[in-house]
Amino acid sequence: MNWQAFALTARLATLTSLILLLLGVPIALWVVFSRRRWKFLLEAVVSMPLVLPPTVLGFYLLVAFGSGTVLGRWYQRVAGSTLAFTFRGLVLASVLYSLPFAVQPMAAAFRGVDQRLIDAARTLGVSQATIYRRIVVPLAWPGLITGMVLSFAHTVGEFGVVLMVGGNIPGATRTLSIDIYDQVQALNYASANQTALALLVFSYLLLCLLYGLNRRTLLWGSR
Amino acid sequence: MTALEVKLRKVFSSKPGRFALEAEFTAPAGVSVIFGPSGAGKTTILECIAGLTVPDSGRIALGSGPDTSAAGGVTEAGSETLFDSDHKIDLTPQRRRVGYVFQHLALFPHMTAGENIAFGIAGNGTRRETLVRDVLERFRVTHAAGRRPGEISGGERQRVALARALVTRPRILLLDEPFSALDDALKLEIVADLKQWLSRFPVPVLFVTHDRSEAAALGERMLLMNEGKIVGQEMIQPLAIGN
Repeated sequence: MNWQAFALTARLATLTSLILLLLGVPIALWVVFSRRRWKFLLEAVVSMPLVLPPTVLGFYLLVAFGSGTVLGRWYQRVAGSTLAFTFRGLVLASVLYSLPFAVQPMAAAFRGVDQRLIDAARTLGVSQATIYRRIVVPLAWPGLITGMVLSFAHTVGEFGVVLMVGGNIPGATRTLSIDIYDQVQALNYASANQTALALLVFSYLLLCLLYGLNRRTLLWGSR
Repeated sequence: MTALEVKLRKVFSSKPGRFALEAEFTAPAGVSVIFGPSGAGKTTILECIAGLTVPDSGRIALGSGPDTSAAGGVTEAGSETLFDSDHKIDLTPQRRRVGYVFQHLALFPHMTAGENIAFGIAGNGTRRETLVRDVLERFRVTHAAGRRPGEISGGERQRVALARALVTRPRILLLDEPFSALDDALKLEIVADLKQWLSRFPVPVLFVTHDRSEAAALGERMLLMNEGKIVGQEMIQPLAIGN
């Protein structure tokens, strides 16, 4: 097992899921409660990574991070380096790539909150922001956990975007999935198997945790 | 004394057979019962007044009502429009200061009874605590303050829902069959507590029910509804209960 890649992957997935918690909640709230007619356009953008080949997203991010774009030049001026082939670039790419895995379960949970509770809160005179903060989000917490767990697991397993944006730099951008690819290229199947098996067991346990949690929540809710 | 003036029209084309709600009435301070069969449009009237449903046209205003103690008359002084389709006025539910007790109560399940009641009170600190304590005592649910709605009885939930709607001192109170799940004795107890509260803070109350005994216990006048229209009005003979 490549422990350096393991630590890097854990750091990347943790950061990504935390950022997606902060970013995903307002986006999901807007998707569910906004009455704008054109909101389907933003919903489609958020869901794009579900259908887009990872290499396509990775390619455009690589181009966007380069010095030929406003974003790339701005970042270079501020940070003194490019975003491509860095851990920060990897975090940004992972956030974009895992966005639907966080937003969709959160939005589903927000939609599931009883409209009558929201109506009751509105008649009590509190602001919409307070209704979100004190009614909608607390009642939808299983959806927030699901969104975080799914985005964590998805980040751990991502390959195409990581390779395109981050390359394969040990300690900086070489994640576990890239490490497996490296081992296979070097015909080191035993080592590749060790890492792959660890990821397999990890994914299974994470999903067991998720489904177990959902079941407990359902039982708790029905009491 | 304030009175609630309602004139509204709302057409639901998606309902089977197209349903048109047309209502015009004035409800002075005191309890006006909206009485009618299921599907008559009673709840929709309450939702329009609370701002949860937007009428197609009409006007909903809170203004000076007929002075029932003397000759009196309706004046426009001090009236406030909640909704007026002609003048494009449509206050949000938050700005209407309407207390609403829903048929299913809609208590927040993750909050205690005390937190439910305190939810709509602006600000923090001692004022909020005093108001909550006072209303808990008046509706006799002090013992349930620290428990969640799932942990208290149906009658206690009903009292908490009433307390939550009243603690913010609403200008209008809307009751949508809130006592339908209770037995008669408990119902009359709660009605008595509510009447006591309303004697201290008189506001127009619209009480939706299809139970004549409930209407007689709480109401002073009755608006009869059928198929989306007010088809009659009558005064109710008071029943001697509670106080």
